[in-house]
Amino acid sequence: MNIVVCIKQILDPEIPARDFRVDSVKCEAERGSANLVTNIFCENALETALQFREAQGGKITAISCGPEGAEDVLRKALALKADDAVLVLNEAPNADPLFVAKTLAAGIRKIGPFDAVLVGREAGDWGAGQTGGLLAEELQVPCISFAENLQPSAASGAVKVKRQTDSGWELLESATPLVITITNHEKNVPRIPKTRDVMQSYRKPLVKWTLAELGIDPSTANSYYRVAELFIPRKETQCEFISGDTLEAKIDAFAHRVTDCMRSM
Amino acid sequence: MSDPQLATREVLWNISHVWLMYALLVPTVATAAYGIYRRVQVWRRGQAENRFDRPLERIGLVLKYALLQLRTWRKLYPGSLHAMIFWGFIVLTVATTVVMIEYDFGIPIMHGYFYLYFQSFITDVFGALAMIGVGMAGARRWIVRPTQLVYTGEASGILVAIFAILSSGFLIEGWRIAATNDPWGAWSPFGNLVAAASRPLMSVEAMKTAHLATWWTHLLLAFGFIAWAPYTKMAHVITSTLNIYTSRLAPIGATLRKIDFEKAEKLGINSLAGFTWKDLLDFDACTECGRCTAVCPANLVGKVLSPRDIILDLRKLSRVPRGDFAQSYVGTTQALSIEAMWECTTCGACVEACPVSIEQMPKIVDTRRYLVMEDAQLPETMQQALVSVETRGHPFRGTVFSRVDWTAGLNVSTMADALDAEVLLWVGCGGALVERNQKVVRSLAQLLEKAGVKFAILGREEKCTGDPARRIGNEFLFEQLAQENIATLNRYQVKKIVTSCPHCFNTFRNEYPQFGGRYEVYHHSEYLAKLVGEGKLSARTPSDKKVTFHDPCYLGRHNGVYAAPRQLVQISTRAEPIEMEQSRSNSFCCGGGGGMSFIDEPPNQRVNQERARQILATDADVVAVGCPFCMTMLEDGINARRGDRDTKVMDVAELLWQAVEHASSSGGRGDRAENTKPEI
Repeated sequence: MNIVVCIKQILDPEIPARDFRVDSVKCEAERGSANLVTNIFCENALETALQFREAQGGKITAISCGPEGAEDVLRKALALKADDAVLVLNEAPNADPLFVAKTLAAGIRKIGPFDAVLVGREAGDWGAGQTGGLLAEELQVPCISFAENLQPSAASGAVKVKRQTDSGWELLESATPLVITITNHEKNVPRIPKTRDVMQSYRKPLVKWTLAELGIDPSTANSYYRVAELFIPRKETQCEFISGDTLEAKIDAFAHRVTDCMRSM
Repeated sequence: MSDPQLATREVLWNISHVWLMYALLVPTVATAAYGIYRRVQVWRRGQAENRFDRPLERIGLVLKYALLQLRTWRKLYPGSLHAMIFWGFIVLTVATTVVMIEYDFGIPIMHGYFYLYFQSFITDVFGALAMIGVGMAGARRWIVRPTQLVYTGEASGILVAIFAILSSGFLIEGWRIAATNDPWGAWSPFGNLVAAASRPLMSVEAMKTAHLATWWTHLLLAFGFIAWAPYTKMAHVITSTLNIYTSRLAPIGATLRKIDFEKAEKLGINSLAGFTWKDLLDFDACTECGRCTAVCPANLVGKVLSPRDIILDLRKLSRVPRGDFAQSYVGTTQALSIEAMWECTTCGACVEACPVSIEQMPKIVDTRRYLVMEDAQLPETMQQALVSVETRGHPFRGTVFSRVDWTAGLNVSTMADALDAEVLLWVGCGGALVERNQKVVRSLAQLLEKAGVKFAILGREEKCTGDPARRIGNEFLFEQLAQENIATLNRYQVKKIVTSCPHCFNTFRNEYPQFGGRYEVYHHSEYLAKLVGEGKLSARTPSDKKVTFHDPCYLGRHNGVYAAPRQLVQISTRAEPIEMEQSRSNSFCCGGGGGMSFIDEPPNQRVNQERARQILATDADVVAVGCPFCMTMLEDGINARRGDRDTKVMDVAELLWQAVEHASSSGGRGDRAENTKPEI
């Protein structure tokens, strides 16, 4: 089975809260002292693919859409023994999910036939959680979301996918090819690479394609949506004393004040 | 009485067929030589390593630790019994050589006062001392039975053999004195006792017969022992001396080897093939005394780690005839189990305790290197700490602090802003990112400021020195961090570094030179003691609290710094610190080294709680520390053990700042960091 795993590089979501700043003009998070890391759900997706390959065989191709520096997350995937890696170079920092989905779809088509595309359920930076679904749409294949694992099916050309729901889990069987968005689970905790494989990952080939090579117009990076305003929410507390002559009058005034507040929300 | 100038005795009295002795010597020497040759062949299979530089220092070590037995003496009972046997045998060997010179070389030296004082009296007394030593060893091995010893038939056999050789020696001496009516018999007091006891019981003829039989028995025992020794732990007579000669000359903190990642076929070690000849010699040098395991903090709290058994199990593997050196030893025995490898705090107590300079701890780290780098197999929480070091430059995942939060309200500049800074204050991850330790670095910064030191920090440019990565076994990550940090330090042309973390201190002092980073490095206790000595700081209001001092392993044992922190306690309290039952080079680890502070130990096997017991036993008000890891480990340990007692853990810098600060006008502003709670 050919599995493609989409991997996104994001700003480390675990930096101390007080170190986190946003640029309200550019509407993006400031890099500051934070490092760039692999999105955790993408790591879960890669782990799921690695486990499937260990049990069933097949080939894993890692793909990322991002700037030159995103090579790092693909090198990590190679260190974990992904077979191939492709970087689609895109310098636009806040490309919207539709643009990313179109770009990834073009890249995946160029890679060749696939059976399953695994993506993280959402990214730890914007948390939009849309790329997977939109990617399935672009590739015109079914999509299963919030999956925790991937199993072979007795039927050929099909897989079984266990997905989490609000009330429990579902086990679905689907024809391939398909897109699966992966969530975290105790069974897909990302492994760490062996140092020897890390060293060798730098010697492995890594394909880079430009947007132009894929026929994608970079000016459409924010045609689906753009961020209008970006700020860190402030917790504000206001203190107000309710006045009244008697306790009942105070309670009455309090109740009115609360209902006023609720109406204005 | 005749003239003492003429005193001597007849060599080989009562013995005929002397040629038989020489004939027996041939197989004896051949067997012994073959035993040694077999060991040498094993060492030759090891990797190369240069341990023959600086010969004068090495000879000095042999004199100190082999001849004078300074480390063996640290334990009085076994130390004295061993010294008696050891020195007894040295003297007896010299005496036998004197006989050889007299008889075989025909040089008459066994005469006169030399014969009386040395050949008779001293030899006799030392022979008796060796007998007493053997008796004490027997009492220990068969009656007291301490757990640290290894109970083998071989070990018992050695004691019995030595006893038999010595006692037969006294018997033949006694019968010769009695039968020949030796006028100089009294110069051999113990032999003379045998003579006196035999005279009323035996005829001269009977004594001559007994002498003849016992003489040959004595000879056969001695030759047999010589032939057998190289195949037993008695080989230590040679191997331990060699091991002491080739021991590490650098401090324990500089003991880990660099890996050449370009050339290494395997990262870390999991089979005998990975060890150097010196490692293989280590195995053969072991005398099975068990002192390493007896001082191992992990072993003491009930974990499986036993440095002695690691060495002995590896030795056993190295002695398998035509053994496969490429076969993995990991997990083959309990001592070599993966579990044991992840229990070591790298405190170095085993290395320090070994009387014959075996390096146990580095072998554990070598094995960890294999597990981490070739097998990606390590405890999950350690793994998380390393991932954090890799991505964020510090091991404290989830910290709410940045590297500069602790400076709030203080006048601390970064190297980027203070180009005239003479001293880099290396804060360390433990100092900057763990709330309790922020108070320590605040105290230290204020002391430096008060003393007028031009210092600066790296701030956000500071990264983990790599100590936890190296000790956990990720040498690759350590090397990356070392190179990055050295580049940063060199960019600012840093010459002098002061740090309150002994782990960072050790890394700068002993490990970065391997990568070309050479700096003048001070632990803050050394630097503060220097400032006090220069009159730049004075303690005007010393505390009246009773203080004990906990030696951090990476400051004390690993680097030999014991005096400076005690001096600070003395200055801050006007009293010497109370010493715990284990202190200085014999100090007991807090449990946090070697990446162990990133592991959740089983509740009934916590090293820090055992140390807390020792602290509480001193009845001190404060335990002074000099390490951010000791700080958190001991606070946890004491909180678990103290009951309703109020015992505090304080860094030596905090103690000094309290004593200095109260006299000045800047009091009060030192605690502002406590008010800056994280805004989430």
